[in-house]
Amino acid sequence: MKRRDLLSVAAAAALLSTTSFSAFADDAFWAKAAEPYQGVTIRGVSESTPSSNWAKDVIAKEFTEKTGIEIQFETTSWDQMYDKAIKDMEAGSGIYDFVYIEQDIIYSYLSRDFLVNITQALKDNPDLAAPNFDTSAFTTFADYFKGKDGDLYGVPMEAFLKTYLYRTDLFSDPDIKAQFKEKYGRDLAPATDHQQYREIAEFFTEYGQENDLQLWGTTVQASSGHPASFYEFVETIAPTFGVYNWGLNTENWAATVENGGTMNSDKAKAALSWWIGNLQYAPPESTSSTWDEVAASFSAGRAAQAFVYGENTAWIATDENKSTVVGNVGVALPPVEPGVMEEIEAGEGYIGYYDGGAFGIPHSSKNKEAALLFLQYVGQPEVQVDWAVNAARVTHTATYEDPRIQEQDEKTSGYYSLMRDEGKLFAGAPDFPFHGQLREAIAPFFYDAITGKLTPEEALDQAAARAEEELTRLGYRKS
Amino acid sequence: MKKKGILLPILIWCGMTVLTLLPIWWLFVVSMRTRVQLFGRPSLMLDGFYWGNYVEVLQNEEFRYYLWNSIVVASSNCLIVTVLALLATFALSRYKLAAEDSLFFWLITNRMAPAAVFLLPLFLLYTQVFRFGDYQLFDTRIGLILLYCVFNLPFAIWLMKGIMDGIPKELDEAAMIDGASTFEVLTKVILPLAKPGLAVTAILTWMFAWNEYLFAATLTSVEARTITTGLAEFVTVTGTNWGELAALSMLTLAPALVFLGFVQRHIVAGLTFGAVKE
Amino acid sequence: MRSPVTGWLFLAPTIAVLGIFGLLPFFYVAFVGFFDWNPFAANPGLVYAGVNNYRRLVFDDQFLRSIGLTLQFTFWVVLSELVIGYLLAQLFMRDFPLKGLFRTIHTLPLLVAPIAVGAAWRLLTVPGLGPVPFYLDRWFGIDFRLGSFENQAFLTTVIMDIWHWTPLVTLTLLAGLSAMPKEPFESAQVDGANRWQIFWHIMLPMLKPVLLTTVFIRLMDALRTVDEVWMLTGGGPGTATRYIGLHIWRVVFPQTDYGYGAAMSLLTLYLTIMLCWFLYVALVARKPRAS
Repeated sequence: MKRRDLLSVAAAAALLSTTSFSAFADDAFWAKAAEPYQGVTIRGVSESTPSSNWAKDVIAKEFTEKTGIEIQFETTSWDQMYDKAIKDMEAGSGIYDFVYIEQDIIYSYLSRDFLVNITQALKDNPDLAAPNFDTSAFTTFADYFKGKDGDLYGVPMEAFLKTYLYRTDLFSDPDIKAQFKEKYGRDLAPATDHQQYREIAEFFTEYGQENDLQLWGTTVQASSGHPASFYEFVETIAPTFGVYNWGLNTENWAATVENGGTMNSDKAKAALSWWIGNLQYAPPESTSSTWDEVAASFSAGRAAQAFVYGENTAWIATDENKSTVVGNVGVALPPVEPGVMEEIEAGEGYIGYYDGGAFGIPHSSKNKEAALLFLQYVGQPEVQVDWAVNAARVTHTATYEDPRIQEQDEKTSGYYSLMRDEGKLFAGAPDFPFHGQLREAIAPFFYDAITGKLTPEEALDQAAARAEEELTRLGYRKS
Repeated sequence: MKKKGILLPILIWCGMTVLTLLPIWWLFVVSMRTRVQLFGRPSLMLDGFYWGNYVEVLQNEEFRYYLWNSIVVASSNCLIVTVLALLATFALSRYKLAAEDSLFFWLITNRMAPAAVFLLPLFLLYTQVFRFGDYQLFDTRIGLILLYCVFNLPFAIWLMKGIMDGIPKELDEAAMIDGASTFEVLTKVILPLAKPGLAVTAILTWMFAWNEYLFAATLTSVEARTITTGLAEFVTVTGTNWGELAALSMLTLAPALVFLGFVQRHIVAGLTFGAVKE
Repeated sequence: MRSPVTGWLFLAPTIAVLGIFGLLPFFYVAFVGFFDWNPFAANPGLVYAGVNNYRRLVFDDQFLRSIGLTLQFTFWVVLSELVIGYLLAQLFMRDFPLKGLFRTIHTLPLLVAPIAVGAAWRLLTVPGLGPVPFYLDRWFGIDFRLGSFENQAFLTTVIMDIWHWTPLVTLTLLAGLSAMPKEPFESAQVDGANRWQIFWHIMLPMLKPVLLTTVFIRLMDALRTVDEVWMLTGGGPGTATRYIGLHIWRVVFPQTDYGYGAAMSLLTLYLTIMLCWFLYVALVARKPRAS
């Protein structure tokens, strides 16, 4: 422990000295490299998130100042962002010079060869390669943007973990602790398995009722008309029960147990039953909650525990204008079934979602070189810290060591160190080229499970059958 | 008609006003609250004036620009549609044309298509077919203005057709005999009579264009973005910014109200006239 | 006396605009409907499929359910809007204090963009955030959760649509009403007709052209509702409010099933035209005898 701290300080010192030394040289590089592209305007599209807005309002402006290359940066809603990027690349119209690639869509894009190989492009154009851009300096998250050849196809710009949040003020209250111990015969502490999680949820829901508080035991991201609920199940809940890759068999794309899949396995059914069961201990808005509304419920102090996407952790824990639980947020690993940790150590599984995105360059772009410069600009160590402080995203190893991040880390009860130390336990989306297609086909079964129209067992049986049907129709599964 | 008690209308008046205003009032209340104030407080009362959301939105240069785009697009579209509809319905009503009924019906079917699937061909049309060197229809105001004709023209033509048919033919025939040209008949005889109807058509056309979302979201990027697509930007992964979304919604009401006030004069005139009848 | 050439000249710009921006995309969609085309299928190109897409539609439960839901939604919405809109239009024919103010207030919902309407209603109806579930629970003990109960979600979309579009009906009907001459009513009253008879035999036939236009406009628009419902429920819970416009949107946007979506849209367009035509014939065919 001690030794590692020492090492990291040394590393930080080394890094600081190199960055300050190279600042002048860098300015000269950007100006020189951009010389042939004066007057060029590059256009990009991204989702309207804090990280993208920071890139648009701060980084892009800086870049324009240093290079003279203009940037038209479009930020829009999630659906629109995909739709426009896909239409552009499919039609080859060349509107966008860089696009946001969310972690789950990259394999679809790669399967269609939509994206420029960044590693290769830098090798082919040594004049464009920035001295301080190092593809090996990204966190392991960059691995999710590599092709089969190990080359990089997107420059990571945001990454988050979906972690387990709990209310430290409630969990450390002596009265509450005593009541809990009396009832369950053990100390109140963040749950490490699902049984504990359920008990805590039950306890706080009853506590809320008894004391007439607007407090429930847990959030559930269970919008019954939005894919957010599907994602919470397959990304966050199912893996902790030992069901990975949405329950698909990646060899033959089977989903049913019969054909070698796990989508309707006993483990999966246990997972879905547990998750749906949590709804009785969740605030009434849960069946309308997507990712942002779960964060809103927790930040309004309406839940004692929650699974929340990491991009929200920082503002929930620190921003008093938005959150009523500032200073009372604990971060922990999601609870898991016994045996799952062993599977992860054996390299077979993961316990949650490593979420985020990158910027990539479409082949259809007409200004690939200028876009390549911008992507490197976004990926250099110098811009990372400000970006991480303002948008809670970390993609670059240089980020962690900065004192400002360590300060943030304390305020968020160690979210950043959790990311650094335990990030490897989390995984991005499985490498499906048919991600959106399959999701749309089977998500309605999960919606019906939430409203109780189908039992969890029925929902998974039908979803698995439907998944195989859809994959056969799309031509991936041969039967 | 018989004079009725004044009580009943007043009662309906109050009831309807409350029902009509409730969602808008709530939007206003939400726009006046900070994000921490939103949850667990379903009180319908205003609990103070918090202008932060409005300041935030108004300070944003882009939103001001989107607002301006919306005004330009809706007004131009409204102008083009009313003029074209006037000409088209004049032709349909006053001339004997081959296959007139089928034509009329085809014009109207243009509004019936489910929008989503037509976005792909329109996208191709805008980015590839209408492309001259660097110029393309994609992300231009003129592209949106022309596109909105597709669903607004059928509506306007249908509405105007009834109005045009209601203007007695004898009037323009008399003018013709007096030696007026077709253009003069149209501007001096038809236009004044059709004005109230045109006003209703104009306000509804303008509103449809002002409020359109799906086409604008797909066919614009930065330059020609409209305010409705700006609204959708508030729905993000890190928390739908309800306060600012509500504030922007309230702000989009303002230009619409101005336009309504501008046109209402003519509508009111239209509603009290009614002398012309077959 | 009047040359058809001048008539065609007046129509030319309209035909040109609708031809380019309406007809061209239509032909493209019709063409794509005969192919299997999903850019993220194993074969991302266009594969000729004949009428397979249409065949598949007939057996597609989700599509059929969506059509059924849309028809129910449209029926309730158009009917309620007509009744309420007509009554309000009648109310406006009278004089009462602050009439101008009321008319402005009543037009307000029209000014709100559908996407903002959806947002406003979502804010009203999400538990914990909105007053509707709160007061329903406090006053009537009703557990109102849009995300959990299909009937509540359906009803809310209907009420939202009525709120939003009744003003349009009022406005157009008012235009029709105020253009009516008074004499037939007066003479009918002299003849001793009761109110119902006056309404049925005099008012309705005279209002018919405006009424028909209004009905069809609302019908067409209700059948292709997307924005409001997308914001309010996203089509949920389950698929309880996934009306056809929204369903098609899901098929061609996130699912990128362009071929199937094209076929689905064309069939929907065809059904819409048939429905309108059928109604038109049913309502207008009686005209010669009635007058």
